[in-house]
Amino acid sequence: MSLEGVHEVRLDNGFRAYLVERRELPLVATVLWYRVGSRDERTGETGLAHFLEHMMFKGTDRYAKGQIDLLTAKLGGSNNAFTDHDGTAYHFSLASDRWETALEIEANRMKNCLFDPAEFDAERNVVLDELARGEDDPWNVLWQATEALAFQVHPYHHPVIGYAEDLRRVDAEGMRTFYRRNYGPNRAFLVVVGDIDHERAAERIAELFGSLEPVPDRDPVLVEPVARHERRGVVRAPGSLTRIAMACRTCRMGERDDFALDFLSHVIGSSKTSRLHRRLVLEEEVATYVTSHNETRLDPGLFWILAELHAGVDVERVEGLIREELSKLCDEGVEAAEQRRARVQIRSSYLFEDETVLDTALKIGRFEALASGGHRLLENVLPTYDEIDRRELREVAQRYFGPEAWSVVWSLPEDAELRRPAATARKRRTRSKAATSAAKAIKAPAAKTSRTAAKKPARKPAKKVAKKAAKKAARRAPKKSAAAKPEARP
Amino acid sequence: MSSRIQLRCAERELKNGLCCIALQSPESSTFAVSLSLAASQIEEGDDEHGLAYLTGSCLEEGTRRHSAVELAEAVENIGGSLSTAAGSVTIQCPADEAARAIRLVRTVGLEPAFDPRDVRRVQAEILSEIEADDADPRAVARRDFRRGVFGEHPLGRPSYGDAKTIAGFRAADLERFHRTWYAPRGAIVAASGPAPVEETLDVLAKAFRSFRGADSPRTAPLDPEMPHGRNESHVPMDREQVHVYLGHPGVRRSNPDFVPLLVMDHVLGTGPGFTSRVTRRLRDEMGLCYAVSASITQGAGLHPGAFTAYIGTSAANRQRSIDVFLEEIRRIRSEPPTPDELRDVQEYLTGSYVFGLERNSNLVGYAIRARRYGLGYDYIHRYPDEVRAVTREDVLRAAATHLDAERVVIASAGATV
Repeated sequence: MSLEGVHEVRLDNGFRAYLVERRELPLVATVLWYRVGSRDERTGETGLAHFLEHMMFKGTDRYAKGQIDLLTAKLGGSNNAFTDHDGTAYHFSLASDRWETALEIEANRMKNCLFDPAEFDAERNVVLDELARGEDDPWNVLWQATEALAFQVHPYHHPVIGYAEDLRRVDAEGMRTFYRRNYGPNRAFLVVVGDIDHERAAERIAELFGSLEPVPDRDPVLVEPVARHERRGVVRAPGSLTRIAMACRTCRMGERDDFALDFLSHVIGSSKTSRLHRRLVLEEEVATYVTSHNETRLDPGLFWILAELHAGVDVERVEGLIREELSKLCDEGVEAAEQRRARVQIRSSYLFEDETVLDTALKIGRFEALASGGHRLLENVLPTYDEIDRRELREVAQRYFGPEAWSVVWSLPEDAELRRPAATARKRRTRSKAATSAAKAIKAPAAKTSRTAAKKPARKPAKKVAKKAAKKAARRAPKKSAAAKPEARP
Repeated sequence: MSSRIQLRCAERELKNGLCCIALQSPESSTFAVSLSLAASQIEEGDDEHGLAYLTGSCLEEGTRRHSAVELAEAVENIGGSLSTAAGSVTIQCPADEAARAIRLVRTVGLEPAFDPRDVRRVQAEILSEIEADDADPRAVARRDFRRGVFGEHPLGRPSYGDAKTIAGFRAADLERFHRTWYAPRGAIVAASGPAPVEETLDVLAKAFRSFRGADSPRTAPLDPEMPHGRNESHVPMDREQVHVYLGHPGVRRSNPDFVPLLVMDHVLGTGPGFTSRVTRRLRDEMGLCYAVSASITQGAGLHPGAFTAYIGTSAANRQRSIDVFLEEIRRIRSEPPTPDELRDVQEYLTGSYVFGLERNSNLVGYAIRARRYGLGYDYIHRYPDEVRAVTREDVLRAAATHLDAERVVIASAGATV
C-alpha cells in the first residue's frame, strides 16, 4: 500500500487522523480507534474497557440512548464497535453525502457520555449475558485458559470480557472514572477512507476534535517474564469431543519476526496444504481439524496451534505429532515450494484486505494502533515478505518453537479419564541453540469482543461454525474477511 | 446516491442450458466465481438424508486430476480460497488469476474424485460435527425448531443428515447423487471482477461448454403446514444460557409481500444496531440478552423459509423473552408501524444496500439470486423504489397475513430454571 494516498492530520491536543480518498463508490468508512483496551484495566477493573464500549451507545449530552443507532440507520448506514486487549474501535459506514455525521458523533461521545445508573445496570446484564455465552463455547473456554497460562503477569492474562465478579462490582461512577482517565484525543486516532475530499475532511476534524482536552498517557504495564518451562492445563467441556490448544510467546506486531511467523503459520497449520493438516487430518486421520495463527499485538503475543480430535484418539498422541512437526520445522526449515505458496497466499490476503472501504480503514487502524512504526509500516509490508528467505524462516522457527516454549491446554469431555501427559516436551530433542535465545519478544491473539452478535440464526453447517469459533483468534495477519458486513441485502 | 451506481452485468445461456453471468467492477483487484446448482437436501431421497451435504463437502477433497493436497496447492498457487457446499463451488482470488479460477471451479464442480478414503475421512469429520452440535444447546434448539416448523419437509432435518445415515454412504452413492443433480440445465455460474463482461462470459463459456448431464425429474416437496396452536419443547442442558427459537413456516422469495415483509422485519427484529422493536425491548431496555433477532425474509428462497425469532438468555428470563416476542408479533399484526418507524427503515434500506456492492463475492451472490428468483439483474436499481413504495398499511397487512402469535413452534435448549 502506498502512503502517498494517506493524508495525515495532526492536532495540537495529540489527536491524529489518517484520510484516504477512494472514489469507486459513494461510500465512506470511519474508524475511531482508542488506545484503550483491557490492558489498561487496573486491578478489579477487568472488563471495563469492553463494557465502556457498550455504554458509548447508551446516551451522551447530545445523543439520547439509542439515538446513535437510530441516526445511523436513518442515514442508511451502519456502525459497530469492538474491544480487544490493546484498544477499542468504533466504526461507521455511511454514504459520502452524509458521512460527517460520524465525526460529530465521535467527537461528542469522546467526552460527553452520561452513564445513567439505570442504563448502566441494564447494560451490565447484557455484558454478563455475553460473558455467559462465551462460557458455553468450548473453543472460547479453551482459548482463554491457554491465554491465561501463557501470560501470568502481563494484563493479557485476563480476558477482554473481564471476570463476572469485577463486572458485578463496578458501578457507573467507576465507569466514569475509567472513561475520564482514558478517553481523550491524545489516546485516539481516526481513519477515514472513501469518497471524501481530504482537505474538507481535515478542516471538519479540526473543528470537532481540536478543542477536546487530552488525558494522561497510558499506564505502563508489567512485562511478562520469559517462560522457561512448558506450562500445561486441562479444561473440561460438555460433549464428547477432545480439543487441544498450544501457544508460544513470540514478538510484537510489525517486528520483522512477525512477518516470518506469518509464513511459518501458513506452512505449519493455517492452510489445507500445511504440514499439520496433511499429517493429522489426511495421513494419520487423528484430527478433524487443525489450524495455526500468528497472533500479534502491541506487546509480544502468541503463536497458536489448535486441533479437534477424532473420537477415541489419544490427545497425547496428537500433541506428540504436532511437536514432531514443529521439531522438523526447526531442524529442516521450509521447502522452497512451501514458501512460494505461502507468499502467493499472503499477497492475496493482503489484497482482499482492501476490498471495501471499511476493510481498508480497519487495516490502517490496526497497523497504526499495534505495529511498531504505525500505519507507515504498511508501505513495507509486501517488500518485507519478499525479503524473508528460508534461512531466516528456519531461524525464526528455532527462536520461538522450542519444546519448552509452549503453553498447552487439553479440552477433554467431562467424563474423560485424565492421564498425565508423559512430559511430552521433555522427551523430545534438546533445545536448539537458537531456541534458547528465544522469547525476548512476544505478542498475542486478540480475544476481540464486539457490541453486537451475529444477527442471523446460524445456517452454516457445524463444521464451519466450529472452525469459525476456533478462528476467532485470527484477528490480525493477512486475512480475507472484514470485521463487519454493513449491507442490507436487496 | 443510487444514481451513481451502475451495475454492469450480462448473461449468456449456453447450449447445454447453463446460465453464465458476468459482472464488472472496474476498479477491483479481486475476483470471485461461483457455480450454483440445485443439488441440496431438497433433492435427497428418503434414504439419502445428508447425502447432498456429504457430496458438497467432498468436492474439495480432490478431482479426477488432483488429489486433495494437489487441489489445495492449485488453489493456493493462484492466491485463492475455495469453498464448497451442497450444490455450490466458489473461488475468490486476485483478479489476474481469474481464468485459472474459472477452470478450477469447473474441475472441482464437475470432475470430483470421490476417493473412498477421502469420503470416509469426511464422513468421520461430519460425525464430529454432529457430536459437537449435540453438545451445543443453540444447535440443539435450532434443530428442534426446524423439525417443528418444517415437519417432513426436507428443510426440517439437519442438512448433514444424522449419524446413522452419514455413516452408511459409500463413494458410489456420492457419484450417483452427483451424476443425477450436478447438471447444466438450471445451473448458474457467475463471476465478478474488473474485466469487461463479454470477456468474462467468453472465458466462462469456454470452460463450461462441455458440461453435460441430463435433466432429472424433480418433485417439489409439499409446503410445511402452520402448527396447530403452540408447540413448545425444551431440552435441559447444563449450560450458562438457554437458547430459544420461536416461529412458524414463512414465505418464498417470490411472495409479492416480500418487500413489505422486509420492511416489517426491520421494524420488528432485524434493524441495524438496536433499532428494531424486539432488540430495543429485550436487550436495550430490559437487558435480558446479548443476542436477539426476528425475521421472516431471511431464508426465504425457492422454498418457503421460516419466520424465526431467536434469543440467547438466562434460564430465569426464558419465559419473559417468549412473552415479549409474542406481544410484539401480536402488536405488529394489529397496528401499523409508526410513520417514523417506517421512514427510518426505508431510509436505512435504501441507503445501505450499496454496501453490498463492494465485494465481488457479494455481487456474484446477488446475480445468482436475481436470476434464480426471477428478479432481473436491474433489480438493484428498482429496489430503492420498491422499498420507498411500501406503506404502513402494506406492512400491517403483510404482518397480519404472514405472522401468527398463536400458532408457533417454540424450541429451546440449555440452562433450565
